[in-house]
Amino acid sequence: MSRYGRTGQLIRLAFRRDRFRILMWIVILAALMASVAWKFEDIYGTQSEIAAIKGTLASPGIVAMFGAFSFKGKVTTAEIFANEMLLFMALIQVVMNLALSVHATRGEEDLGITELVRSHAVGTAAPLAAAAWELVIVNGLLGILYSVGLTAANMPGASLEGNWLIGIGLATTGLLFGFLGLLTAQVADHSASATGIAYTLFGISYLARMITDVQHPRLTWWSPLGWVEKLAPYNDANWLPVWLSLATALILFGLAVMANNRRDLGAGALTTRPGKRRASAFLRGPLSLLWRRQRNVIIAWILAVIIFGVAYGTVFNTIGDILKTNPTMQQVFGAAMVHEANHKVLLSFTSLLAVVMAAVATIPGIQLILKAHTDETRGWLEAVYARPVSRTRLFFSYVGPAFLTSTLAYIGGLGGIVVMGDASLDHVKDGISAHEFWQGIAGQLPEIWVFLGIAVLLVGCWPRIKTFTWLYLALGFVSVYMGSLLKLPSWVKNVTPAGWMPRIPQHAVDWTTFSWMIGLAIVLVIVGWLGYRRRDLQMR
Amino acid sequence: MATQPILQIHQLQKKFGRFQALKDITFSVNAGEVFGFIGPNGAGKSTTIRVLLGLIRATGGSATIFGQDVWHDSVTIHQRLAYVPGDVYLWPNLTGGEIIDLLLKMNGTAHSDKTDALIKQFGLDPTKKARTYSKGNRQKVALIAAFSQDADFYIFDEPTSGLDPLNERVFQEAVLDLKQRGKAVLLSSHILSEVERMCDRIGIIREGQIIETGSLAEMRHLTRTMVTVTLGDDFDVTTLPGVHGVTAGHQAHEWQFAVEDSQLATIMATLAQHQVMALQSTPPTLEDLFMHYYTGKE
Repeated sequence: MSRYGRTGQLIRLAFRRDRFRILMWIVILAALMASVAWKFEDIYGTQSEIAAIKGTLASPGIVAMFGAFSFKGKVTTAEIFANEMLLFMALIQVVMNLALSVHATRGEEDLGITELVRSHAVGTAAPLAAAAWELVIVNGLLGILYSVGLTAANMPGASLEGNWLIGIGLATTGLLFGFLGLLTAQVADHSASATGIAYTLFGISYLARMITDVQHPRLTWWSPLGWVEKLAPYNDANWLPVWLSLATALILFGLAVMANNRRDLGAGALTTRPGKRRASAFLRGPLSLLWRRQRNVIIAWILAVIIFGVAYGTVFNTIGDILKTNPTMQQVFGAAMVHEANHKVLLSFTSLLAVVMAAVATIPGIQLILKAHTDETRGWLEAVYARPVSRTRLFFSYVGPAFLTSTLAYIGGLGGIVVMGDASLDHVKDGISAHEFWQGIAGQLPEIWVFLGIAVLLVGCWPRIKTFTWLYLALGFVSVYMGSLLKLPSWVKNVTPAGWMPRIPQHAVDWTTFSWMIGLAIVLVIVGWLGYRRRDLQMR
Repeated sequence: MATQPILQIHQLQKKFGRFQALKDITFSVNAGEVFGFIGPNGAGKSTTIRVLLGLIRATGGSATIFGQDVWHDSVTIHQRLAYVPGDVYLWPNLTGGEIIDLLLKMNGTAHSDKTDALIKQFGLDPTKKARTYSKGNRQKVALIAAFSQDADFYIFDEPTSGLDPLNERVFQEAVLDLKQRGKAVLLSSHILSEVERMCDRIGIIREGQIIETGSLAEMRHLTRTMVTVTLGDDFDVTTLPGVHGVTAGHQAHEWQFAVEDSQLATIMATLAQHQVMALQSTPPTLEDLFMHYYTGKE
């Protein structure tokens, strides 16, 4: 039996196992790409519309979020489309690939399924190879759907080569990170650790891309995530990033196979070390238990959001200096006007970032709240509930830290932006004032708390549909983040709490909205808590 | 004063949607008693125990521990209760030692010399992360925490399914020690020899209903004794009243059959007239009883 024996059967098994999640990802991603492309001519069809958005896209703030792209000559609708969508789609596709790859390899191994599979006549590297093929097929299929969708949308300025370059370019970028996940799954000895390492590397490539894009776009070649920006599908089609991604993916797969061949089943290079013989005095109840189990994740999230914020802050000086792009302005308008304009630009940039920070800061909170139910179904709470621990106490041991983590992460993230940003400015007075900073905090916290409140409600009353929280958060993020670029109707924004408050600190906090959003969050938590006290716990 | 039972369950019912998991559960457990709770997979043993722990809510009937309602007063009850689940799931990134201490602290007790002694007896390495433990080792963690606790009522849900025979012995000794100290124990188990050896009374559950409770001696009367006899003449034992499943033995005039307890005296008297050369009688084992209730045969 060769090392790869029966890989084919395992591939079929993988698709049988993951059919729903794969279907969901493919449908959502392909529909997103095709529908935006379809609608795009209505949004940016005329030359005046294109000219207006072209200026926006060239501003450093937008470059930091969407990537640096170069325009040559007459700009077409398709070029604007590529500029707005490529990096965004790549990010989602990387998330999909990391989830699929770790789930298919280390996740299966953690569950003991790989042991069962390997006891049959399958090759030692067959489960890994099957996971790799699963990723190749899923990404390939998505790539084809993208290309076909783009061709069908037939945007002005689009070319057949460009359409296929986008499809194949996104597919290879996805594959690169998917194979990175395969490698970290071989190196770590459990899936949470594998996911953590992969996301750290993903985060580093994102930050590297952002900083280089704003300052020296040529250096963006050093970040694998930056390669999608270099495709330039509709103005100067470049296939080099595709080959680079493929080559990197192959190298990563080779490394994964090597690591797989050298290790025992269930083991990894980074092994779980023995720990304490006795519990510390601190570890004594459900709350300290959650901290003990999740402290690394909580601290890592807060730090990551702060670093994310600081990284965005470093581009303040480039963004908030209109004279750099328009040196004659001072002579025309005078210094005071220029500083006023600089301040406006920074306010608008900070408002957009606040939306991003709020969404990112909500993630760890939702994770913690949903954990209350995951832990329940895993049987981990049975031992706790056999002790004199009430439902209320246990529930708030998850909910409390969740609210605290998200709140701290958001304050830290926005603080990172403002402190670093103001420090980087030549004229500190152009920057964000303390008052504006606190407005920014008050503007987004209610939204974060309402999202968390929805998670609490679902875990307390209808835990089966708890995943809905993620879709709702994603919808809220997309509607606000992409909403104005895609000119979405305003009701779409109002579907989720992300759109209920005006953009802050660009505008002032609406304290009425603030109050009833806080009230809503409290009601959601109370109803969820009452439900949790009444319902049956779900055990294996 | 008549002592009140520690656990009292009366016509307990539980429905999951349309599925009636528990139809009629009625039994009680007294102080100083080990009560064996037996039944096949899916009969409702774990569901019953989860109702008793207040993890799920009964849809009918009543259940009290220490005279208090298992749902409303669960927190108070749990102060004097110890529990070992059938499948022990532990937090993967904590060590066994940390988990034992944490579980004890949540009961208001602490790690004691007894805990150390139990860790030694069960042969557990408490420095390993729970992720790396086998099923047996995870069970040991829960058992050590339960036995170090000074509770009044102990619930064990198939606690020895992953233990080796040596550890099973340690477990049995610890349970007998609890019994001597006047504690009440509810032991759900598949290992019938274990139940037979340790339990004072037994409850048999089938499809969500308790179909029999009582001591093993009482239950034996409900079934048949196996008899192997070698006779000196050609007497045909199939003519006897109340015998079942007659088979011929390896030698001539050797027979094996089952006898209803009510007919035992008559049959012995008849056999005595036919030159009994050898006679062996085996009382029904718990396994026989179990089969009797579940398959409807002997």
